[in-house]
Amino acid sequence: MGDVTASLDGSAPRRRFLLGLGWVSFLISLVGPVLANVRFLFPNVVYEGEEVFKLDSLEKYPVGSITFFAEKKVVLFREKDGFRACTAVCPHLRCVIGPFIGAPGASPDILRSRCPCHGSIFDGRGQVLGGPSPRGLDFFLVTKSPDGRVVVDTRKVVGPSEHFRL
Amino acid sequence: MVIESQSKSGQRKAGSWMTNNRVIRSIFRRGYPDNDLDRSAVMFSNFFLHVLPARTHVHSLKPTYTWGLGIISLFLFLILMGTGFLLMFFYVPSTERAYNDMKDLQFVVSYGLVLRNLHRWAAHAMVAVVFLHMCRVFYTGSYKAPREFNWVLGVLLWGATLMMSFTGYLLPWDQLAYWAITVGSSIASYPPLIGESIRTLMLGGDTVGQNALIRFYVMHVVVLPGIMIVLMGVHFWRIRKDGGLSRPSAKPSKAVDKPAAFSPHKTYMLVELAKGKTPMVDAQAPEEEVMSWPHTVFRMLIVFVGVVAALSVVAYFFDAPLEELANPERPPNPAKAPWYFLGLQEIVSYSALAGGVIVPVVAIVGLMSIPYIDRNPEGQGHWFTSRQGRRLTLGSIAAIIPVVLILTYLNEHYAVRKLVPGAPQLWVDLLNPGTLLIALFALGSLYTWWRTGSSRMGALTLYSYFLTAYVIYTIIGLYFRGPNWAWIWPWQDTVLH
Repeated sequence: MGDVTASLDGSAPRRRFLLGLGWVSFLISLVGPVLANVRFLFPNVVYEGEEVFKLDSLEKYPVGSITFFAEKKVVLFREKDGFRACTAVCPHLRCVIGPFIGAPGASPDILRSRCPCHGSIFDGRGQVLGGPSPRGLDFFLVTKSPDGRVVVDTRKVVGPSEHFRL
Repeated sequence: MVIESQSKSGQRKAGSWMTNNRVIRSIFRRGYPDNDLDRSAVMFSNFFLHVLPARTHVHSLKPTYTWGLGIISLFLFLILMGTGFLLMFFYVPSTERAYNDMKDLQFVVSYGLVLRNLHRWAAHAMVAVVFLHMCRVFYTGSYKAPREFNWVLGVLLWGATLMMSFTGYLLPWDQLAYWAITVGSSIASYPPLIGESIRTLMLGGDTVGQNALIRFYVMHVVVLPGIMIVLMGVHFWRIRKDGGLSRPSAKPSKAVDKPAAFSPHKTYMLVELAKGKTPMVDAQAPEEEVMSWPHTVFRMLIVFVGVVAALSVVAYFFDAPLEELANPERPPNPAKAPWYFLGLQEIVSYSALAGGVIVPVVAIVGLMSIPYIDRNPEGQGHWFTSRQGRRLTLGSIAAIIPVVLILTYLNEHYAVRKLVPGAPQLWVDLLNPGTLLIALFALGSLYTWWRTGSSRMGALTLYSYFLTAYVIYTIIGLYFRGPNWAWIWPWQDTVLH
């Protein structure tokens, strides 16, 4: 009886080694299936909104206007130096920020937008003035389409003071 | 007289025929348990009762010891399972249908509103009761050996309860749901390296939409309940294996004589072959035990009826909230989480990394490691351990209230970015009330440990700090935060135009 127990416990060095080898092999054999299942959960194709989009024609946005495109979550500024476009998504936790408030035609440094969720405050250059946001708002490339409309490319991030004359 | 006794025995015969016929016996093996032999046997032979011991220690039945919080949590979970199954028949997890299904439940389906109310209020109650249960277990020192691991399972169950609530209130696809997923999945993206992958895994993409809804639905109705059922099974089984509910230690039991060697002339039962003894052996105190049927079982039934009655009243008079249809273009202002996440929302509003990742991880890991740090068996089964423990608990609560309020005031008026415009994010992540409180909690409880020489006193201090801060931040989030999460007084008008 003693021998049987010893072989099951793996108390002999050789048997203990083989027992350990068996356990380790078993655990390694689980790694592949687990990784495959985790990988399965990451989608390869998603059907989400476009990243480059056309807005209206240039003259719809007079100098001094600030336009919020709710569906695209983008804010378009037209200043005397040209167009600027920034995201309306707060970098903190992705709530949509409130409207930029300030006198019409005011300098971007005076404009203020607040996030309704956790109270981050941004100026018209996207800089964080208060609250928890870890960084400022991203500004995007603005171009003109052949048919004379404003195009915002959210894949291309530019400096917050870069103006685009179209 | 003869007639009377005949009729009595007739009644008895009729009664015993009802509870003791061939069919009943095939199901229950025995008749109605009206004698101690059958009362013991019913606990062994009934699948649903066999998790209970045949006899229960009287201390385990003291309402002022347990407050019934564990069993109430179980009943709330069962009610949630029942109402949840029924709601699934009328709910389709599609961004186009989900919200309309809620409206149908409210206005079209018979008892739909009541079922949804029951489900929602039972979920709120469960979050509260599970937390109170954790407080009870902590303050009575019930996490001490051999129950350390059961405490860890309990902390996991608390986390799973919160996850169940979180995944649940997303399903109606109203404004609360949409912005809670948006914020919740963004918090998950903050841990370095793996953050973005976790967010993608949660949402099944990069934006909150159909993929996210179906994932949260599967988590809510399959994955999390499955995990909870397994955890609860082990949690309850461990109570038995660890000698029943905790209680003040009795007089040391007499050592049981063990046979020195196996005799070849005897047949052994499994229990005689297994080495060592279980805590159950030490736990036995027959003179202080009562039959579990009826003493434990009937108390549980009464609690069950009480829970159902209370929930029914609440579900009849108060309707579960349903906000407007999800609008990805505009969050509500203020966008508030349900009350049990408002404390978290408040510290997330200082810093997402500190409040959403560091503080919760430290809190969960800290809670789980308490039994492995505080290892002295002092005061197990006594509320607050001792008079000193009671004083320390009250003192810690009283001491931390002004600290939390002062830190909140300082953050409101002298936050890092107000003093140093353009300060690096690292400063914000380090110098905010959430991070500072963690440091203060650690210092305060280590100091108590050092002064009293008792790890239990240190643990009491730490837990009381944690509990108090959690409650204060919940109250702040609930009553003192208005549009744009700015500070308001509860009596101020908050309507935005």
